[in-house]
Amino acid sequence: MFDMIRSSNAKALARGEATDHVKKVALVPKKSPQKAEGKIMSNSLKTNVNRKDSTTGASPLKQKEQTIKHSSLPWTEKYRPKAPMTSLGINHCWLKNWNQQFLDTGNKGKSKKQNDSSAKKAVLLSGTPGIGKTTSAKLVSQMLGFQAIEVNASDSRGKADAKISKGIGGSNANCIKELVSNEALAVNMDRSKHPKTVLIMDEVDGMSAGDRGGVADLIASIKMSKIPIVCICNDRYSQKLKSLVNYCLLLSFRKPTNNSLGDDSCASPTLSCMVSHEQGNGRVGKVDGSIDFGGWLICLIVYGGGSFIVTFPIAYAFLLALEELAERVNGDMRMALNQLQYMSLSMSVIKYDDVRQRLLSSAKDEDISPFTAVDKLFGFNGGKLRMDERIDLSMSDPDLVPLLIQENYINYRPSSIGKDESGMKRMSMIARAAESIADGDIINVQIRRYRQWQLSQTGSLTSCIIPAALLHGQRETLEQGERNFNRFGGWLGKNSTMGKNLRLLEDLHVHLLASREFISCREILRLEYLTILLKQLTDPLRLLPKDEAVEKVVAFMNFYSISQGDTDTVVELSKFQGHTNPMDGIPSAVKAALTRAYKEGNKLRMVRAADLVSLPGVKKAPKKRIAAILEPSEDGLAEENGDALAENEEEDSSDTEDLEGTADGKKLQSELNSLNSKGIQVEVELKGTENSNTKKTPRGGEKVGPHLWKSLQAGEEGVLDPREGCIKEKEMRIDYLVLRNACDWCKWSPLWTMYFLWVSWRMVINFVNGFSHG
Amino acid sequence: MLWVDKYRPKTLDQVMVHEDIAQNLKKLVTEQDCPHLLFYGPSGSGKKTLIMALLRQIFGSSAEKVKVENRTWKIDAGSRTIDLELTTLSSTNHIELSPSDVGFQDRYVVQEIIKDMAKTRPIDIKGKKGYKVLVLNEVDKLSREAQYSLRRTMEKYSASCRLILCCNSSSKVTEAIRSRCLNVRINAPSEEQIVKVLEFIGKKEGLQLPPGFAVRIAEKSNRSLRRAILSFETCRVQQYPFTSNQAIPPMDWEEYVSEIASDIMREQSPKKLFQVRGKLYELLINCIPSEIVLKRLLYELLKKLDEELKHEVSHWAAYYEHRMRLGQKAIFHLEAFVAKFMSIYKAFLIATFG
Repeated sequence: MFDMIRSSNAKALARGEATDHVKKVALVPKKSPQKAEGKIMSNSLKTNVNRKDSTTGASPLKQKEQTIKHSSLPWTEKYRPKAPMTSLGINHCWLKNWNQQFLDTGNKGKSKKQNDSSAKKAVLLSGTPGIGKTTSAKLVSQMLGFQAIEVNASDSRGKADAKISKGIGGSNANCIKELVSNEALAVNMDRSKHPKTVLIMDEVDGMSAGDRGGVADLIASIKMSKIPIVCICNDRYSQKLKSLVNYCLLLSFRKPTNNSLGDDSCASPTLSCMVSHEQGNGRVGKVDGSIDFGGWLICLIVYGGGSFIVTFPIAYAFLLALEELAERVNGDMRMALNQLQYMSLSMSVIKYDDVRQRLLSSAKDEDISPFTAVDKLFGFNGGKLRMDERIDLSMSDPDLVPLLIQENYINYRPSSIGKDESGMKRMSMIARAAESIADGDIINVQIRRYRQWQLSQTGSLTSCIIPAALLHGQRETLEQGERNFNRFGGWLGKNSTMGKNLRLLEDLHVHLLASREFISCREILRLEYLTILLKQLTDPLRLLPKDEAVEKVVAFMNFYSISQGDTDTVVELSKFQGHTNPMDGIPSAVKAALTRAYKEGNKLRMVRAADLVSLPGVKKAPKKRIAAILEPSEDGLAEENGDALAENEEEDSSDTEDLEGTADGKKLQSELNSLNSKGIQVEVELKGTENSNTKKTPRGGEKVGPHLWKSLQAGEEGVLDPREGCIKEKEMRIDYLVLRNACDWCKWSPLWTMYFLWVSWRMVINFVNGFSHG
Repeated sequence: MLWVDKYRPKTLDQVMVHEDIAQNLKKLVTEQDCPHLLFYGPSGSGKKTLIMALLRQIFGSSAEKVKVENRTWKIDAGSRTIDLELTTLSSTNHIELSPSDVGFQDRYVVQEIIKDMAKTRPIDIKGKKGYKVLVLNEVDKLSREAQYSLRRTMEKYSASCRLILCCNSSSKVTEAIRSRCLNVRINAPSEEQIVKVLEFIGKKEGLQLPPGFAVRIAEKSNRSLRRAILSFETCRVQQYPFTSNQAIPPMDWEEYVSEIASDIMREQSPKKLFQVRGKLYELLINCIPSEIVLKRLLYELLKKLDEELKHEVSHWAAYYEHRMRLGQKAIFHLEAFVAKFMSIYKAFLIATFG
């Protein structure tokens, strides 16, 4: 991949060098276009296909005709470049190699294909509107002699019918399917006669309701495609394209950067060159030689110069004006051209001021960043803005601008109040502005919560315009070392921190509630308990000797089921800016000892902590466990094992009667009987039975399944540990009746039966082993 | 174990402060006709303690076997579904929750939970249909919509469930709900009562109380029993044996608010306002509710303020507190209050001293 980029860069460089050459050629001999073209032809690198097109208009007559025909076109179409720009290097390589990559390797073996990053059958071009994605896609395919078939948002692109054997049936999607899958159309025909095809899927992110299943179908097409596919979108991070991205080679188009000072900008030279062509006939505009012509430019000169003679009213633009234009349109080539064409209708010389004037009103709306908006509102001239301008500014981002205003309004020294020695007037202005901002908040609630969107202008009035009108003036810094620029609104960050802390506090609250001693609400916990909790958790560590302190704190934590995370929460919430950190003065050795001591007790605590985090894969277990543990009659230490046993036993007694074995059950029974007859008793004792005897809660028989499951697990465990004296009297019997019961339960699933058979067999084996050892 | 929890009365008979109310409640329950109840009163007066004791009285010890659950509700609200998560505390006979924790969507929780409860109606031992009790905390923080929707469901399902509502101020509970409940006002305990309780605890713990010490704690506690006991224990942690002039430590956040107040009093300038904003943010980040901040701030300011301004400042505090409830970004309103105060106070200073 990198090699490819490098090579493409090299190519671009080479082309750049060539460019200079071409430019000189192209600019100087304007009076005889044909001649120039001839030279260019010899200079141009790989534009064979297009050249044919352009040379068709070689004779002056024909050229004239063409011009007349073309003059009605928008400039965007007319000057659509016909040779690639630099960024297309990769695309170019990709397309060129496509055939070898996918068709030839297909024959010779596919091992290479997997690793190669360029081994994707489709390419996804992405970038903001108007920077030439579609154009370049077409160009490249044209250059390499592919015939481009473009499908864009104006065609419906839904899912193709499952079987296209019925024929394409007028459906566009079916056409595509046919196109990509039909070898005859693509490659296997005689190549010399038929141009190869490439499918350009334009505006893939625009697949909407009408194109249901479009993306999925596109992916399917890509997988089976026999021709290259070029997909084009504006936003490649769009949710819709998530799946598509994996199947494509991603190429992104950046905006041409326009550095207003440097001449290396992409858009402005392009424009100036374009203008110079519109002037035609040697009336060359002021195009300085210092401009570094980018890829765009070559195309324009070569083809624009060759094929079009301009019969337009002549436009004359200064470089400065063009740069301004390039900046105003924010890199959108198409928009720049449209503007330029429009201006050329009314004026012959385009000056800086004209561009400024015109584009001030028609500049793209998104140009105003919230910061610019706030700057303008608060600026010295803020008072001179018209009301609609102010509304536009504040509505450029109705969420962010108010926040910025709120963050920065204190910093402005209002110019409207005149002399104000005591600062009295300013203070009252600030108070008014603050109130107005607060109004804005209230209105915002009405808008968002009650969907009163008609209030949005009022909202922006109160939250932005009034404060700005009151306080616009000079900005001054309030803190040492602060930069004198508007700060970003602090509310967003603070609010999210607050949300996080609230969540942590809620965790702590839940844990405290789970200890069954604490009954207050969260707010009270924060306001009144937190101080003493902190004291109880940290003071002993600071004052008492290490071991004693640790013991005391851990005991306290256990009692209230406070986890270590909760301790951190307590500390975190007690921190105040400008106050000492509560954890100061605690030696790290003590902290470490505390951690250790706490972790030691973890096993017993696991349940008490009542973590409400849902464990992956386990859905209902935690809740049940918590429920069990919070019952006061039960010892906190009661092991789950014990529980399971208790359930086992009772089940044993309650379920023994109601058995009617299925075929499996009978089989099992006979097996076990045969074992019995050999003098082996299948009896298993499990530890902790005394414990479980104390607690019997009646349960219905319908839950046999899970209980049995537990019982078997427990049984297995018991048997696997013979040295602990598991096989003794006072046993708990897992006898064949239980197993038969199991079969009853799992009669739906042969797999279960198999499993139970296996488990029971293992039990028997283990038992025998244990017996012989003992 | 904290003393607050250790010496919390578990049954209605053990109650030390509101004996009369406790006895009335007991009678109410034993007569088998428990209406909806609304407990209100200042914090630390023993509402929650009484409620727990009452539940115990109704359901016996089973009311203490509670489990903590994070429940999720999927609510179908027209075109979209809303997922709400809330921590509930429930036993077989009662459910306790603070619906205001889910913000302005509390309405759905209130509606759903009552319907849920009505569906699963418990049957007691004698075969009679019993009722479940739903304890709702912080009803005064419920949004207006939630209170309206509560009103209807309260009546409709009153056969199968009883509500015990608990709040600080009944003025923020709508008239309609108040009239459907038996209102029980729990007064803040008097200082003598607090001293009595403190001495009782001191005796149980075997502590030497210097004369007047308990009285001082009671004075400082703002007549909140919980507060008194907590600071009593804090004193114990800090220094024992007690001395009669021992400092009673304030809560961390109160200290911070009083710092802010003195900042404001010292200087009224944009610069100070900016610093105060930072400190207010700090309080909010540490989960101190904005209303409490404003209230406390006013309290601290009033302590330092001249008589003639007190009225005006209190008016503005009330004004901004109301607006804070209507709005969402508390800091805007707090800041507006501070700015207003600064401008008033500055004008006052200039007018007085020139």
